[in-house]
This record gives sequence, structure tokens and C-alpha cells, in this order.
Amino acid sequence: MFGKVKDAMADAAETLRRTFAGLAVREVAPEPFICRDHGARPLGAVPRPGLEPPMAALTQMPLLEDAAEGKALELLHAELREEEGWARWGAETEVIRMAPLEPGQATRMAVPPLPRKVRALGTVEPPARPEVRRVAEPLAPPALRRLNPELASVDVEPGLEAILALAVPIQGEDIQRLPKGLWMRYSLQLVRGTGVNVRNLEVLGLFRIPRKGVANLRHDPRKSRIMVQLESAAVRAPRAPFILARRKDDGALLSCFVEEP
Amino acid sequence: MADPIKLAYFMAVKEGASYLGGLLVTDTSGIPLDFRYTEPITPTRLQSILYGKSLEPHLKEEVIQKTLLKELKTPPDLFILSAAELAGGWSGDAKYPVLAVQKSQESALAKVGDTFRAGPRDLLLQLTEGAAPLRVMFAASVDPAAQEQAVVKLLEAGYHMDLTEPLERVGVALQSLVVKES
Repeated sequence: MFGKVKDAMADAAETLRRTFAGLAVREVAPEPFICRDHGARPLGAVPRPGLEPPMAALTQMPLLEDAAEGKALELLHAELREEEGWARWGAETEVIRMAPLEPGQATRMAVPPLPRKVRALGTVEPPARPEVRRVAEPLAPPALRRLNPELASVDVEPGLEAILALAVPIQGEDIQRLPKGLWMRYSLQLVRGTGVNVRNLEVLGLFRIPRKGVANLRHDPRKSRIMVQLESAAVRAPRAPFILARRKDDGALLSCFVEEP
Repeated sequence: MADPIKLAYFMAVKEGASYLGGLLVTDTSGIPLDFRYTEPITPTRLQSILYGKSLEPHLKEEVIQKTLLKELKTPPDLFILSAAELAGGWSGDAKYPVLAVQKSQESALAKVGDTFRAGPRDLLLQLTEGAAPLRVMFAASVDPAAQEQAVVKLLEAGYHMDLTEPLERVGVALQSLVVKES
């Protein structure tokens, strides 16, 4: 389709070229352009009623003649002025005649192109030019995590040996509160057990301690108690009354378990 | 014959950033029947932030104390802890009376066994002749009837032992265990 149109256009162009190829060209001197003066009259100004210069009439104020303020007033004087503008405008009108254009006087002037770049002078270059980069990668969605704030259960350890390493204070019983018969029974067992005369014995206290597992004991007279060092066998051992006494002649400590009735 | 009275002494301590607790069960002479302690618990930084001020009471009461009590075959007759712990709002358990005992500077009461009630949960108990009375403070969960029963048991035990001393022993034992483990 476009090929046919192109061929047709080419044919038409060739036809026109051949038609006008043989025509003669004649140069015709152009007639100089002459501006003809038709004798136009200069413009004149015509005064119109209503545009007269303002006129002021002298008037008197007889009522204020005697007043002090009235004396101070000066009489108005009018001065006649004329406006000559219209006449001067008309008289000074100048007819400007255009010089006829002559062929060959016109010269073609090339307009210089505007500079594409303007050179800036006196600028201070920045120490560094920051580079702008664009991060196109999207942020990854945050991972959701769950943390159980519950405190973990604790393990329990048996520590009986650790506590048995510490001396246990055992308070002495108040002998005075014991029944007299019971105390006499205990005294007799003390004499039998130690083999010392009762008059040579000073009872330091009656204590209830385990029958087994007492590794060591120390008397604390200030608090009327004994400090006993126990072994694990003492935990399940039955408690029994225990009398601690001092031999008066040499101060030696004597002790014995007594039987409960 | 009635079962012998068992006294449970509980203490929880903070060593550095770790907590551990111990429970000592004694008879009325203060002789140990059982002693158990927990492994040190070190809460994480996040747990410390999330629990805030409730971390320590929660650890001591809910975690350490309940874990230790679970290990006991029979519940104690009295559950004794320090006065500072009790004052911190210890709720306690209804199964056994929770109380604190403290030596006082008050003048002796007329005779052994006398009590002087200083408050609904606070009383003085005369255990030994002429000595300063023992100050007894009960937890909020202990009703007046349970308090009376507890006083009877305290009197019986106090005749043979110093009721405040075993708690010191628990503290010393926990310290020694911490040193041993570190």
C-alpha cells in the first residue's frame, strides 16, 4: 500500500520537474517604493466649553470681621493661569516621513546562539560529593518469636549432711520443774552410771538428745545449753534424757543417758 | 501417743543474680529431720524486666517455697520464716500456719505461757522464766483459732529449744552451699 503511494508521489514529482524544467527565468528590476505625501493637515487643538481654567471669586465674611480669628484670615487671591498644552501639542506635532526602502540595503544578520553552558566563576567546590543511591530492595518481614517468660521449675537437692555439719544447740530442761520423784530417779541413774558419789557431782543440765549419732558435744554454760555435732544416724534415733555433770574434785565432765520411766 | 511436732524453717536468699532457698524440718529439740535446698535459679534479663518488682516474691513464694514443700512427705505443724519475709506480704498456705518468730526487747511477762496480743496477727509469748518474751507474727492466712493452736505448739517446742536459732542455721547452710557450688 505505502509502496504504491510512494511510486505515485515519485511519478507526480518527476512530471512536475519535467514540466517546469524548460521555463526561462527573467529578472525584473523592482520598482522603488515611494511614499507619497498627500498633504495631510497638522492636528489642531480645539478648545471645548467646560474646560476653561478655574476662576475664583473674592468673597468677604463680614460676620467674622471683628472676631480675632477672622482677622487672621487672609483674603483669597485668585491667579489666572493658562494651560497651553493643547496648543503646544498641536503646534509641535512633527510628521515623520519614512525613507523608501531600497533593494540591496538589507543585510542578513546572524543571531549568535546562546551558550549552552554557563561557566560559573568563583565557586568553591565541595570537599566531597555525596553519592545518592537508591535501595530498591524491600525490607524483609520480621520473624515473629515467642518467649515464654515462665520461670523454669527448680531442682531440689537433699542437704541433710550440709545442715548436720552445723552444731545443733540443745536447750537444757528446767530441773526444778521436773517432778521430785523423777529427778531422784534420774540422780540415782547418774550415780550408777558414772560411779561417782552424788556429793562430788554438779549437775550441769538435763538434755534430750538422740541416743545414737552424736559425734561431739560442747557445753555452753552461759546459755545453759549444749552444742551437739550430729551424724545422719541421729536423725531417726529416739531421743532420750541425757544428764551432763561435772566432777567437783577435778572438774571433769561426766554424762550418761537415763531411762525414762 | 501424739505425733511429734515438726517445725519447718524456710529461707530464700539472693546470691548475686541467683536465688536459692532451703527448708529445714526439725523436731522440738531443734534436731534436723530433713533439709532440702533448691538449685540456684538465675532469671534471665528478659524475665527480670518482665516480672519487675514481683520477680523476687514470685520466685521465693511460688517457685522455691512450693517446690520445697512438695518434697515433704508430711506437712509441717508450723511454717516459720523470717520476719522480713513475712512483712513482705507472704500469703502462706491454709494447710499449715505461717509465722515468724523474733526475739524481743520487751520486759518479761508474768509467767511462762503468758501471751500479750499486740495486734490481730502479732503477739508476745513468754517461753522461759524471766527472759524477754518471743515476738510471734502470723501470716494473713492464719485465723485466730489457728493462731491459738500454733501458740500451744510454740510453747511446747520453746521449752526445749531456741525457736529463732534454726533459721540462722538455714542461712549459714545456704551460704556454705553457694560457696561450695561456686
